[in-house]
Amino acid sequence: MARFRLTVNATRREVDAEPDTPLLWVLRDRLGLNGTKYGCGVGVCGACTVLEGGKEIRSCQVPVQAAAGRRFTTIEGLSRDGSHPCQRAWLEEDVSQCGYCQPGMILAAAALLERSARPTDAEVDAVFSEHVCRCGSYPRIRRAVARASAAGGAR
Amino acid sequence: MSSSRRGFLQTAVLGGAAILLKLPVLAQEAPAGKPKRFEPNKWITVGADGRVTLIAPRSEMGQGARTSLAMILAEELEADWKSIVLEHATPGPKYPGMRTSGSSSVSDCWRALRLAGAAAREMLVEAAARRWSVPAAECRARNSAVVHAPTGRIFGYGELVPAAVTLPVPENPRLKDPKDYRLLGTRVLRLESRAIATGRAVYGIDARPSNALVGVVARCPVPGGRARGFDPAAATAVPGVREVVRLSTGIAVVADDTWAAMKGRDALKVDWDEGENRADSTETYWKRLETASARAHVTRKVGDVEAALSRSARRLSAEYRYSFQAHAPVEPMNCFADVRDGRCEIRVGTQAPNEAQAAAAKLLGIPLEAVTLHVTLLGGGFGRRLDHDYVPEAVELSRAIRRPVQVVWTRRDDFENDRFQPASLHNLSAGLDATGRLIAWSHKMTSFHLTMFGPYEEGNVDPDSENPWGAFDCPYEIPALSAASSVARSPVPTGAWRAVDYPPSVFARESFLDEVAAASGRDPVALRLDLLKSPEVVKIGSGEIDRRRLSAVIALAAQKASWSAPLRAVPGRRVGRGIAANVYHARTHMAQVAEVSVGKEGDVRVHRVVCAADCGQVINLSGAESQVEGAIAWGLSAALKTEITFRNGSVEQHSYRDYPVLRLPEMPSIETYMVSSGAGPSGMGEQPVPPVGPAVANAIFAATGVRVRKLPVRADEVVDRG
Repeated sequence: MARFRLTVNATRREVDAEPDTPLLWVLRDRLGLNGTKYGCGVGVCGACTVLEGGKEIRSCQVPVQAAAGRRFTTIEGLSRDGSHPCQRAWLEEDVSQCGYCQPGMILAAAALLERSARPTDAEVDAVFSEHVCRCGSYPRIRRAVARASAAGGAR
Repeated sequence: MSSSRRGFLQTAVLGGAAILLKLPVLAQEAPAGKPKRFEPNKWITVGADGRVTLIAPRSEMGQGARTSLAMILAEELEADWKSIVLEHATPGPKYPGMRTSGSSSVSDCWRALRLAGAAAREMLVEAAARRWSVPAAECRARNSAVVHAPTGRIFGYGELVPAAVTLPVPENPRLKDPKDYRLLGTRVLRLESRAIATGRAVYGIDARPSNALVGVVARCPVPGGRARGFDPAAATAVPGVREVVRLSTGIAVVADDTWAAMKGRDALKVDWDEGENRADSTETYWKRLETASARAHVTRKVGDVEAALSRSARRLSAEYRYSFQAHAPVEPMNCFADVRDGRCEIRVGTQAPNEAQAAAAKLLGIPLEAVTLHVTLLGGGFGRRLDHDYVPEAVELSRAIRRPVQVVWTRRDDFENDRFQPASLHNLSAGLDATGRLIAWSHKMTSFHLTMFGPYEEGNVDPDSENPWGAFDCPYEIPALSAASSVARSPVPTGAWRAVDYPPSVFARESFLDEVAAASGRDPVALRLDLLKSPEVVKIGSGEIDRRRLSAVIALAAQKASWSAPLRAVPGRRVGRGIAANVYHARTHMAQVAEVSVGKEGDVRVHRVVCAADCGQVINLSGAESQVEGAIAWGLSAALKTEITFRNGSVEQHSYRDYPVLRLPEMPSIETYMVSSGAGPSGMGEQPVPPVGPAVANAIFAATGVRVRKLPVRADEVVDRG
């Protein structure tokens, strides 16, 4: 067990954990940030997506020792009140079915719009080919990304 | 006004019959002070602050059931939708029937919830009328308030609580005329959406209290196997691991947190007795089906099929196959249990709360009332969470360690221990007369029994049963027709998988009908419409199929898809269009047209699916459309991409890498058209799954001339050899 310092949602946190503990489980089991989901543990489903410097990363693939000193944003920190353009677009398009994968989807959309305010279909495809929604909310995700883009993108 | 027993008693009490006060039947005892809430039935509470709380008696797994049920209550109650609060029912004597299956949430609750809402509305209106001393007929409920129309006076529902609680509950309240619906049939945002989008939604995996431990269980990778013994040393050496416990399902490693439990489980050494399935493979299972197909039972018979086939001018036969499939919800199975002091608390995402509660009580030997089960949101259900195997497992572990504990399954655990959609084999024959008319049809389905619903019994087919779904209730008029079923003992756990028999049987039926159309030179749409002409209504088993409703959706889907117009060319690819239709348990009627293109290497792309559906009264239009989209994605995964296979008795797929469910770039554009037939609501969660496989297979035939008789389709079958 060792102590690690990292910044989550603009707050500095200290956690005691085994160095190989994935960031996913530090967020969930240590910091109580349950919006980041466990789906596969091997980096192929995207449910555990968090942001680092505006880029999406798979928190199940980052051990806490590698995460130390870095800054992350989870779905809980994307906005104070659910007002991020992607969160709003997700409601306006009624995207979610079971919703379990959607925090990861919303963060992926936010990261995409941050680097490409008007993403092409190919850019949208490239990002979301790395995410699984077993409910099949895909058509609405595409629409919500377009809507968030039209509403001003990342912020 | 006719009134319920409770109403009678309250009236009687007011009349001075004090003796009746002793009877414990009052739903709400007359309160001493000012009543704080109005609770006319178990579905609705109106607080003195005006807050309307509605109770959801069905699980939410993405199908939108809770929102739809709340909409029904709110519509009749005339509640302000923006301010309602939803609470989930807890299983027990008060809420006995919470099972969420068969796309039946809305149709099961439709009448009871409308009556509950209407009764409460009438009481609130009556309460207002009395306070104003005006006739109730002059008052109208709207947006959680009652308005006296002539004077414009208004009472919020909260202000009416003290008066409403004294009124009898009307037994036959007047239901709203559907033409006055303001909420039902519109697009309503799912109630959980805001919580989901901000990460606050609570699924089973999120419901672990901070004082609980985590258990991860090593289960035999070969179904039916068991642990001969185990060495806990390596597991307990992992920091954070507390203990290693033998359970009836396997060996549990208990730790302070999830990661430690997973690592401990991976380190654990178990000596498995892999049991009788250890040499099995997918091929073994197909061979068993081939053997079992010889002893099918005929479940439906119209005319003499053998005679009609033998006098046919042309006879067609084909065999269709549908592979094993997994549910693979993104939230793996998990369950929290806290067993102590003769009580048990459970937090779990389940489609069968009452059954799970009963299983826990039975395991512990305690009364049902001693088990409190909280139903969380489900991160996908699809029939997997209709089985409650993962609930007693957690209860058993909590009992063993005397601590609250959450059992978490890894993704691999979830694949290895799914209740699979069993593989199935379909033998079909058809006879055409000299003019090309279809005069004989037989469909035999051979599959494995569903272990989720009980042990296998030899024969296992009730000759009066209405199996196989999709073959038994074949909706077409054919002079000689038979359906037959053969069910083999399943060596692996099997269960309800979104639409159960229908996806495989409708794939076989609608594809084979396409073969008949091709053989007789008929247009597939025209042929179907011909076979549905007369009689218009047909009783098949316990169901009554209105063929006019099915014809209407077929015609609409064909029209919206411009069926007769040529498809736009896709450079370097072969293009085609296919149609399929189905009636789900004589209720929801549906047709889909798929447009595909097939590349030189045999890669199939589905560009567009047009769906026409008649599910009776639409509750939430956005919800219905999202079920069409999602179910099509579900059906396309199984048609184009995924398959569960076995080798040495073990499941070969362990993640979404080797069970590659459909992803966003592969999603076709979907158009949904709802037909309003005036019928009552009949469900949309499973119904759009069955037609999509055959619609795509028929489109592939149109594009390539290759008849796909096994799903998922393999690229090497449809490579361009021209």
